Amino acid sequence: MRKELTEYGYVTAIHSLLSMAPKVAAGTRKEYEKLLSRMPHFRDLIDSMLGLGDPGVLFLQGFAHYAEMVMDAHKNGKKLAFTTFCQSPVIFHAMDVVPVVLEVMTVAGTLIRKSAIGEFMDVCIEAGFSETSCSSQRGSLGAFIAGLADKPDFVCINTPGICDTNANSFAFSAAHFGIPFYQLNYPPTLTDERSRAYHRDDFKNMIAFLEKETGNRLDVDKLRSLMLEMRRQDEMICEIQDLQRLIPNPVPGIYNLFIYALRFTLGGLPECTELLTAMLKKAKENAKAGLSGLTGGVEKKRCLFVYIDHYAANLPLFNFLDKHGITHLGGILDRFYQDEAFYSHGQGYRLETADLDQMIDSLAMQNSRLPMVKQIRGPYDSPEMWLEEVTRLAKELSADFTIYSGTPGCRNTWGMVKLLASDLEKSGYPTHIIASDAFDDRVESWEATAHRLAEFFELRNIVPPVAV
Amino acid sequence: MNDPRSASTLALFKDAALHVRNSALDDWKAAGKKVIGHVCSHVPEEIVTAAGMMPFRLRGIEISSTAVGDTYFGPFVCSCPKAILQSAGEGKLDFLDGAVMVQACDSMRRLDECWRKASVEDGARMPHFFHYFGVPHKVTDYSVQWFAEEIERFAKALSAHFSVEITDDAIRRAVALHNETRALLVRLEALRFRDDPPLSGSQSMSIILAGTAMPKEVYNPLLSALLDDLEASPGIGHNGKKRIVLAGSVLDDLALIEAIEHEGALVSADTVCFGARAYQGEVDSSENPYKTLARHYLNEQFCPRMFGYTQARFDLILKKFEDSGADGIVFQNIRFCDLHGSENGLFEKRLEKGGIPAMRVEREYGALADEGRVRMRIGAFLETIRKS
Repeated sequence: MRKELTEYGYVTAIHSLLSMAPKVAAGTRKEYEKLLSRMPHFRDLIDSMLGLGDPGVLFLQGFAHYAEMVMDAHKNGKKLAFTTFCQSPVIFHAMDVVPVVLEVMTVAGTLIRKSAIGEFMDVCIEAGFSETSCSSQRGSLGAFIAGLADKPDFVCINTPGICDTNANSFAFSAAHFGIPFYQLNYPPTLTDERSRAYHRDDFKNMIAFLEKETGNRLDVDKLRSLMLEMRRQDEMICEIQDLQRLIPNPVPGIYNLFIYALRFTLGGLPECTELLTAMLKKAKENAKAGLSGLTGGVEKKRCLFVYIDHYAANLPLFNFLDKHGITHLGGILDRFYQDEAFYSHGQGYRLETADLDQMIDSLAMQNSRLPMVKQIRGPYDSPEMWLEEVTRLAKELSADFTIYSGTPGCRNTWGMVKLLASDLEKSGYPTHIIASDAFDDRVESWEATAHRLAEFFELRNIVPPVAV
Repeated sequence: MNDPRSASTLALFKDAALHVRNSALDDWKAAGKKVIGHVCSHVPEEIVTAAGMMPFRLRGIEISSTAVGDTYFGPFVCSCPKAILQSAGEGKLDFLDGAVMVQACDSMRRLDECWRKASVEDGARMPHFFHYFGVPHKVTDYSVQWFAEEIERFAKALSAHFSVEITDDAIRRAVALHNETRALLVRLEALRFRDDPPLSGSQSMSIILAGTAMPKEVYNPLLSALLDDLEASPGIGHNGKKRIVLAGSVLDDLALIEAIEHEGALVSADTVCFGARAYQGEVDSSENPYKTLARHYLNEQFCPRMFGYTQARFDLILKKFEDSGADGIVFQNIRFCDLHGSENGLFEKRLEKGGIPAMRVEREYGALADEGRVRMRIGAFLETIRKS
């Protein structure tokens, strides 16, 4: 590994850059541009984030706060838990546990240092981890293995039965660090009573695990307060996503990333509420003015991502779509299935806080509907699973086409994405499968991915390609 | 071997190990009986037996390409389910009356929809009985309860589709039959542990594999007689050979074992899927049969799809290493099997630290396409082992 990558702690570096980024715009235009020139791997992203006004700044500040929480957890007497993006963080915050969401931390690493994340991934392989496994955990996990962040105290995840490759990364982590491991586990169906009962029992068991590992008793009032905050956040997310149905879509594409990145890490905490409030305000203003969320204002086409986004350094995907006049309608990462979400259709959850049993039940229901947990627990074409969701979303969001972006490490989706794409095409949605790695541009450079996307736009008569 | 019938039994077992069809299976079908295929060692075969049918572990052998598999699965997926789909696409599994799809791992679970799609678009015949079977990933009172219900649901589906009755007594009889198989295979394992076993690792594996492809009613007496003979037989010159435990993912072809033994070693034990996983433990029949089956099949945590039991699997491998007097361990996995791939890497490092020679081999499923590479690596590994 290059020496410069080990000079600073992994989380420290993320915190340092993100906390300073909002201050870049404080000076004159000339000073701003000079500063940007000193950030070659982060320049476009900072520029576009700050160009968004309050939401961009609040996102940077919010994520910096999260990095600080991870960085200082032990100093603040809290436990550090490795966990995954599709697990609700509320229960961790309630138990004084700081969740280290490996996938989000990997994305943060890709954003701030071009090519660095690949070297951290290789550290995992040196430790024995499979090189073909999902890169979303492999990046930040490598930094932890390399000793560039505090060792976690335990692992608590919810992907077995959903994405075994994901779960395997965490099982490996637990074995590597010699720390306790807990898994929430999911049957292949979503809403039948047998699955509901399983979710409840499993969630109660998880609380017992957390109590044992933290030495804390669950503080019911604290949990209630966090859940009520999350309910407010849920309402705002639903409102923003409702606005995405408008033509033109008034919600800037990168808001989707804001929603899921902070929801996965700071869900239930005020930083997330503050960001959502600013985003909702801006989206409503755009809607009132009849503007799209694109910087050019004019929406040419509407795209639904059927899985995740692409996270090369500088986050070029969002600018690429923006320049083409394409609105990003979200992906599965920002669909949480709140009862009031327009796409829930009776499959949703509502956070109830009257007593502890209700709270546990509704958190278990929430967890069982989180991104990926809901869609791919059973056959992709079973009721309530992936195909039903994306075809319904594509229709209700008036999508013109769909894109799959993922990682070669995703056995689950690569096991049936050809079938999904074929079904979507039959339903009238041109569908492009990005065969690169959303987290590792060594597999395919962003430039090559962009070229293929442009080719798709041209061949399928979506929009004329433009130089970006 | 002293009994002249043993050679023909071994030949029959090897035939069953190398080919999709075998004479015992053909006789079963000729008698108008049903065969139910499945894809995972967590499927309680006793239910199929109790229905008067033959459980058959699906394999993707004897295929001519992977064209059908590659049409439906993406490129970054284990070649085992692809090969099974290919086999179905080539009509080699047309004899099946039913198939059980399992969320065994991410790749294998997708065989369900890929097979269904291929049956519509590519003429891959799909059995009329096509059942999706869930298996929890951990052992708790509620996961055992859920799994017991899932097994009962499977039994009811089988019963309804084929209009057969599956009684508790029939399940208990099936449990006894399958326990007999397990006990016989444990006897076989004891033979493998001898200083000079009367058979090679490759022969042992062909015996175990045959058990996945033949009716237990036929297999058990043949195996019993063979073991009687082998137990009274002298070794065949394995003394002094370096002894290897073979661990890791699915392994249902003999080529890798033959490659290891061709390099002068003896595969004296294994923990692979299709190998020792087939006979570990015994099903208790003292309580509700669905509950006892659930408990047994969940408690056998050889596969890393059972998350959080890494240490138990490591201990088992070490036990096999010690019991078989082995000198080294070869970990193998199919490419894109991250579950075994990661655990193999972890175990290899731990063993090396403890002074136990270990190596990892990643390969494609099926006949050893890159035999030269594998042999060279195995040969080099064996050279590093100092025989005590």
